[in-house]
Amino acid sequence: MGKMTYKRLKGSQNLRLRLLLATLSATPVLIEDIRADETIPGLRPHEISFLRLLERISDDCLIEINETGTKFKYKPGILMGGKHIVHDCGVSRSIGYFLEPLVVLGLFAKKSLMIRLKGITNDSKDPSVDTFRSTTLPMLKQFGVPSEGLELKIESRGSPPHGGGEVVLSVPVVQSLQAVTWIDEGMVKRIRGVTYSTKVSSQFENTMIHAARGIFNRLLPDVHIFTDHKAGPQAGNSPGYGISLVAETTSGCFISADTAISYVRGDDIGEMEDERKELMPPENVGEQIASILLEEIEQGGVVDSTHQGLLFILCAICPQDVSKIRVGKLSPYGIETLRHIKEFLGVKFVIKPDPSTGTVILKCVGCGLKNLSRKIS
Amino acid sequence: LVERTTLRKNINLMQLVYGTSAPNAAIIEKQDSIDDEESDGDDFFKLKGEGNKKLKEGSDGININTEDCSKFTKYAGRKNWKEEEIYESIRDRFVTGDWSKAAQRNQ
Repeated sequence: MGKMTYKRLKGSQNLRLRLLLATLSATPVLIEDIRADETIPGLRPHEISFLRLLERISDDCLIEINETGTKFKYKPGILMGGKHIVHDCGVSRSIGYFLEPLVVLGLFAKKSLMIRLKGITNDSKDPSVDTFRSTTLPMLKQFGVPSEGLELKIESRGSPPHGGGEVVLSVPVVQSLQAVTWIDEGMVKRIRGVTYSTKVSSQFENTMIHAARGIFNRLLPDVHIFTDHKAGPQAGNSPGYGISLVAETTSGCFISADTAISYVRGDDIGEMEDERKELMPPENVGEQIASILLEEIEQGGVVDSTHQGLLFILCAICPQDVSKIRVGKLSPYGIETLRHIKEFLGVKFVIKPDPSTGTVILKCVGCGLKNLSRKIS
Repeated sequence: LVERTTLRKNINLMQLVYGTSAPNAAIIEKQDSIDDEESDGDDFFKLKGEGNKKLKEGSDGININTEDCSKFTKYAGRKNWKEEEIYESIRDRFVTGDWSKAAQRNQ
């Protein structure tokens, strides 16, 4: 134990990403200077919650946090997975924050993972659970993940600030992924989506759908947006409404956009200025999200900008084979992901712009990550 | 010429992501050390925030405590997708558009 060398990192940036890659590559990390100069220093509740989640799904992992929370050590253990795990995600970030890394970790666990997550299902910061279902899970199938046992059930919804939603995520285990050549973004053949509302009139949903359709109708007739009005205990603890849209292309790509509207959290005083007064009316929400989706489509990648990071990670942990992918403009999070992948896994992408379409082609050779714990069983 | 510009762009993107090559980094470090020497005495009384600002500028303006968020949506400067000219510009990305043009994209 004594001679363990920790990879030293600074700051709270990309904490999820660092912990995810540290776990996959079995690299112990030591992160310091976490908001050391801020009024409330140290780790935020969602970050601690994520660390606890890692502890819960793995064996022999070690987490040491100092008193103020500005520094911690993490030694990854063996990913165990397992069924009937319950985790409370808290209300400082939505469930989407936890789902993104969790689904990758689940693939490389010893036993298939089935976990119930409690908290906020939809907010404007993280991809919503609807988007996760409609876009992220199909994306995994491109890498050879079986669709059996891969699902997300939304049992009840929770809007910020008080949450109260519950989802069940099931992830199968794989031996390894398959390298992809995924450069054909295809043409958009249909647009699907789902709206939700909790503790507000279901009429809000119809208004959002009407506004969104107004934008799409001139481009595509095949637009279906479903409603999901929740009432009673299934609606969680706070009022809110939102919409998640996904465009499916002829080559099987899914391009998504989502948002959610609700009253802000009480502790986000800094962000309150422009949001507290009035909620954005549903017409504007519908129009806005439809415009965002069209902008994502215009980018011309095989995934939307939100999923770039996940796509890069999946490519990097493929077997030692060449993966080739096309994305739109690199997003800041995507770039950060590329840097961290190089640092932890030693995989460097070849990045080439494709000037005729304004897209970017990335190529890499995977690091050949294998699910070792599964072999033992 | 076209080839050369694409080549240059290519390098730039790689540089953008993975940082500049070693000689450049060395120069930056050198500058830093000069700065340190000059402001030898002043450093002692520097406000914490000020030092922080400098640090931020030094590391390419990246705050080490930025929020961890995969979603990236720019809310400013969005196009008005109701205008015909603008929505017609992505017509070929839909099945209702010109298929031959779309096929060319992937050549």
